[in-house]
Amino acid sequence: MLSTSGDSVDLLAGGQEHRPMTEPCGSGSSLDALLAAAARTGDRTAFGRLYERYARMVHGVLLAKVPRGEVDDLVQDVFIKALRRLSTLREAASFPAWLAAIARNLANDYHRRSSPIQQLTRGTPDDEMKRGSVSPQPDLPASAILDALTSLPDAYKETLILRLVEGMTGPEIAARMGMTHGSVRVNLHRGMEQLRAKLNARLPVKSSARPSVTREFP
Amino acid sequence: MMDTPHNSPEHESLSSKHDYLWDKSGEPDPEILKLEVALSEFRHVSPVPVLPEIAPDRPRIFFAWCLRFIPVLSATAAAIAAIATFFYFAHTRKPPAIAETGWDVSRVAGSPRIGRKIITGQVAATRLAVGQVLETDDHSRASLQAEGIGQIEIDASTSLRLLSMGTGLKRIALDHGTIHAFIWAPPGQFVVDTPSALAVDLGCSYTLQVDASGTGLVRTALGWVGFALNGRESFIPAGAACATKPHVGPGTPYFEDVTPEFRSALARFDFVDGTPEQRVEDLNIILAQARKRDALTLWHLLSRVDEPQRLMVYDRLRRIAPPPAGVTKKGILRLEQPMLDQWWNALGFDNISVWRQWERSWAGDHAPSLPK
Repeated sequence: MLSTSGDSVDLLAGGQEHRPMTEPCGSGSSLDALLAAAARTGDRTAFGRLYERYARMVHGVLLAKVPRGEVDDLVQDVFIKALRRLSTLREAASFPAWLAAIARNLANDYHRRSSPIQQLTRGTPDDEMKRGSVSPQPDLPASAILDALTSLPDAYKETLILRLVEGMTGPEIAARMGMTHGSVRVNLHRGMEQLRAKLNARLPVKSSARPSVTREFP
Repeated sequence: MMDTPHNSPEHESLSSKHDYLWDKSGEPDPEILKLEVALSEFRHVSPVPVLPEIAPDRPRIFFAWCLRFIPVLSATAAAIAAIATFFYFAHTRKPPAIAETGWDVSRVAGSPRIGRKIITGQVAATRLAVGQVLETDDHSRASLQAEGIGQIEIDASTSLRLLSMGTGLKRIALDHGTIHAFIWAPPGQFVVDTPSALAVDLGCSYTLQVDASGTGLVRTALGWVGFALNGRESFIPAGAACATKPHVGPGTPYFEDVTPEFRSALARFDFVDGTPEQRVEDLNIILAQARKRDALTLWHLLSRVDEPQRLMVYDRLRRIAPPPAGVTKKGILRLEQPMLDQWWNALGFDNISVWRQWERSWAGDHAPSLPK
């Protein structure tokens, strides 16, 4: 129907393929690169759009690593830090990976700042389950499910949190995190298996049972 | 983030079927659905916070070097500014306001022109002011950028005009040619006039083409676009396209992966003045081939078909995308706007209230400007 040929828009060219887009239209990453480039020149509206596009990702990455009561403040810290360091971002296209790295670094900083006593007294979700303070039955409280989720291996918990908590789809996670579709898909399914096992058995997955994972640097 | 190897039989088997966990397609898995509902209370909901000023990007060494000379530089700058101000007011007329606002223009290829002026620089050193025309020939391309609005790539053989800038609505007119727009201004603030419809950005990235006859085509890559002419409206979400024709207005939007038969039937239905029998025949093709996501097309057709055909469209749409509670057959057949809007919102493309809000503001400030 609406194929385009030369200078005219042909409304009745049924069955013909559209002329391929000549420019970057169609790629979310190219829009991110443009937004990041505009933000680097001081465009706050552009940075606001980046916040809207990536806040869920940052929130998910942090939720996998720090206590949930701290996450909202840290999300803001991540974006403010990113804003201040935009001039150090060499490739605007690598903004998502760069932002995720800032989020992970801030999460690590948080743990370094926390006193050992705080960390010891905080307890682990699995401890709580063993003590019977929460029930991993179908009516398990959401906080207990989240605790079980955050006790999974890193590769699985980040991906699963982005999917189950932040509501992103696998393709979105892959695009935002700079991962392949295959890797995200496998992380989701293996992570889901482990989560299911944790919720059903009330026991943590033993470290020896964890499948080997490799780190993909963006 | 850690990543796992995926060249495994497990991966192949996972990718070969509808997979709700992967992309929410197919039948929802009750267990996953339950987890999603339970965990949604932890989802990120905070709006954009108040962000500090962004320092424009400058090399750090230069900045550090400048710091050493701040006192001297300040004094010098003040003196120069005073002299310049004196000469400015003494010897020049104040330039028209339009020169103060506009889009930065960069040459991408060839020799794009603003009026008679050929743009030579690839760095945005030229401005397109309100009322000016930017043209590219067969061999030239250009790029426009405006702070807080977005970026527009202009293909060869294109002519566009800047109609308005400033704090309110930003408008350009695309007389002919092709533009690729990446807009980050709030939805509804950027509008493109074409000879056959207005294209309203609703938070997106899209390509808009207009040929010499004024026929247009929009293809949305991200977000969604609204097409409007004299009360006829089309909403085009990511992955969809929509044509528009002079004296007719926006056609019916469709996803670009529909079959050729579906496209042809829709084009004839929208733009060819056929016999009633031919129209019913085309409608039957569209309804028979409509998939779940083609609810986009069918929802638009509800208000574009005659009453007897509306029942056919309603029945098919109801089957592929059941109406939400409160939306009745009677109300839809009467084209009651609140019910139509409610059904649209339930289709999952985007919330139509953004558009209705834009319509209200547009009607108040800009109604006479709609293209005829």
